[in-house]
Amino acid sequence: MARNLMQRWAKAPFYFNSAAHVTRIGNQRATTLNEFAQALEKVPDDAIFQHTFQTLQEHHYIEEGFSNDFAHWAFASCNEIELAERLSSVDVREYTSIKALRDRILGIVNEYLKRNERARERAAFEPFYFCASDTIVIPTPWVARNLEEFTAELRKVSVHSIHYHFIDARLRLKLNTNDFSLWLENDLDLGALGDRINRIDIYTATLNDVRDQILKVVESAA
Amino acid sequence: MTEKDKKATPPAPAEPSRAVKASVETDSMIERRNTEPAMPPVRERRKYKVSETPPPPAPPPKLNDYAAIIGQPEIDEIRYIARLLRGKTVKMVNSTAVGGGVAEILNRLIPLMQELEVLTKWEVITGGNDFFEVTKGFHNALHGGDYHPTKEIFDIFLRYNEQNRQRMEFVEDIFVIHDPQPAALIRSKERNRGKWIWRCHIDLSNPHREVWNFLKPFIEQYDATIFSSPAFTRQLSVPQYLFYPSIDPLSEKNKDLDESYIQKVCDDFGIDRSRPVITQISRFDRLKDPVGVIQAYKLAKKYVDCQLVLAGGGASDDPEGAVVLAEVMNEAGDDPDVIILNLPPWSALEINALQRASNIVIQKSLKEGFGLTVTEALWKNKPVIAGAVGGIPTQVVHKLTGVLVHSVEGCAYQIRYLLTHPEFAKQLGRNGHEHSKENFLLTSNVKRWLILYQEMLGLNKPIKVA
Repeated sequence: MARNLMQRWAKAPFYFNSAAHVTRIGNQRATTLNEFAQALEKVPDDAIFQHTFQTLQEHHYIEEGFSNDFAHWAFASCNEIELAERLSSVDVREYTSIKALRDRILGIVNEYLKRNERARERAAFEPFYFCASDTIVIPTPWVARNLEEFTAELRKVSVHSIHYHFIDARLRLKLNTNDFSLWLENDLDLGALGDRINRIDIYTATLNDVRDQILKVVESAA
Repeated sequence: MTEKDKKATPPAPAEPSRAVKASVETDSMIERRNTEPAMPPVRERRKYKVSETPPPPAPPPKLNDYAAIIGQPEIDEIRYIARLLRGKTVKMVNSTAVGGGVAEILNRLIPLMQELEVLTKWEVITGGNDFFEVTKGFHNALHGGDYHPTKEIFDIFLRYNEQNRQRMEFVEDIFVIHDPQPAALIRSKERNRGKWIWRCHIDLSNPHREVWNFLKPFIEQYDATIFSSPAFTRQLSVPQYLFYPSIDPLSEKNKDLDESYIQKVCDDFGIDRSRPVITQISRFDRLKDPVGVIQAYKLAKKYVDCQLVLAGGGASDDPEGAVVLAEVMNEAGDDPDVIILNLPPWSALEINALQRASNIVIQKSLKEGFGLTVTEALWKNKPVIAGAVGGIPTQVVHKLTGVLVHSVEGCAYQIRYLLTHPEFAKQLGRNGHEHSKENFLLTSNVKRWLILYQEMLGLNKPIKVA
């Protein structure tokens, strides 16, 4: 029975892609929280993407305490621990648009500054430099037509591929899910399995751990 | 004695130094030291023979040699990105073929590009002593130093750039011009169809205004610029990209070493590995704050047993380095656990061994470029305590990939903390290794170059992710 599930053909194959990027340095920088709040309103969407989604990839190996660049700056350069905690609680997976994510971050900062007026103009130890990413998609030779092939290929791809399919996918799909879960649901009629994968916590695991957890979920289902 | 003389001649230490337990010197260095009074006296020096000349360079590694380090999928991705660029031509231009960080990077980068069939040619600009004096002055001025440029100085710069421009052919698809020295080669842009990139390896955050105003019109003609840190940039009208400097994990400075070799180096230098070892690798320069490191060590040592290794060069051929070395020796006093090593430039293997033998690596700089010694330590899984300056905060994410400090006292506390919390120290080292693997290896830069080339040549438009 289990063997059948692993070998059942999907309606359409899963093509593994990966992504690579170069970072562009923007002209905006903030030396106080006030400047930071003003810049957050104006910077292009790809800057918000860089410091939230993209930075998760750049720090994918850290399994404790790293959430996004904004939270880290509030902690390390502004010494505003409460603000840092609140910013780090923003889970990018809940957002399918940069606008919503930007509004949430801005809301947290503005609300904090309203209660802590003196923090507004205090000079940060280091400025915040807004950057952005130019990302290109890289097709890989790996294709899965069933779960057996999916687990075999998932072991081979780079962590950048996992980031692309599991985290970036939300913005691309505009859905609260990821490419793996969507494939399981749509092409293998395994919606429950897809849901379990979608619940894997990216903030307490490295991307390699995410890979292991996906494999564990799929193999335990079989 | 003039003010200048005072600077050039190091003062004799008040007493013969008792701190230096081991100092590595070649025979010629020893001879020079004995005949020139500039070097501080060294007592109880252990003789450790190192080669008089640099060893011949090893053949550069092949891309597949890196698979064991970054994984085959990464290598495959690099090859895939390069596919679109096969047969494209690139010319890299800098100002020196040997010595210096840029030449070191190009020596490793270009063979990999050639292997990927991105046909990369490296040319070096030529000039007289007057030109290189000017560019050295520019270099210091762009770092914020005092400088008094004249029309003649700017003319010398332009004249040599023009000579080189006339001498070189510009027929490639992409031109990468490194640093300010050859920046005016951009005048050839109109003659050809290629794209021009200016790679700036220096910190432009606080440049001498007149020098920067002279260079800026050239820089703004490039199609793109690249900096090593967002903190090093200026406001420019052309795109600015972020390429971190990188280390080669297969170079002598960074490759894995046999435990027996590490032990031998420690034995030779009188380092007791049964007790904690903290190390700072840097030339004897006040901006690296070696005296502050000794002060931090002394404060920490009231609570935890440890040895301090200060290893670097620059004291043999740099008068100021000799002065700083004398200050360091005075600060160390007669503590036998302070081991000061003045190493020749070709001591990559020894430095590698010292870093690997250390429990903690310190880089308590007061001003810093990117700080590749930090990268080297992170790569070797070492917990790093570093000054929060220059490019260091990019590498040391506080309490995640190392710890940042702002004072002698802060440094001392972190030494105590890390030596008494080895699990936390180990975690920092592990994260630091991964951080360097993801961001600061030569292979990461190969990938960045390839993506940028594609973008410049319009071969692969970036996707709209946001």
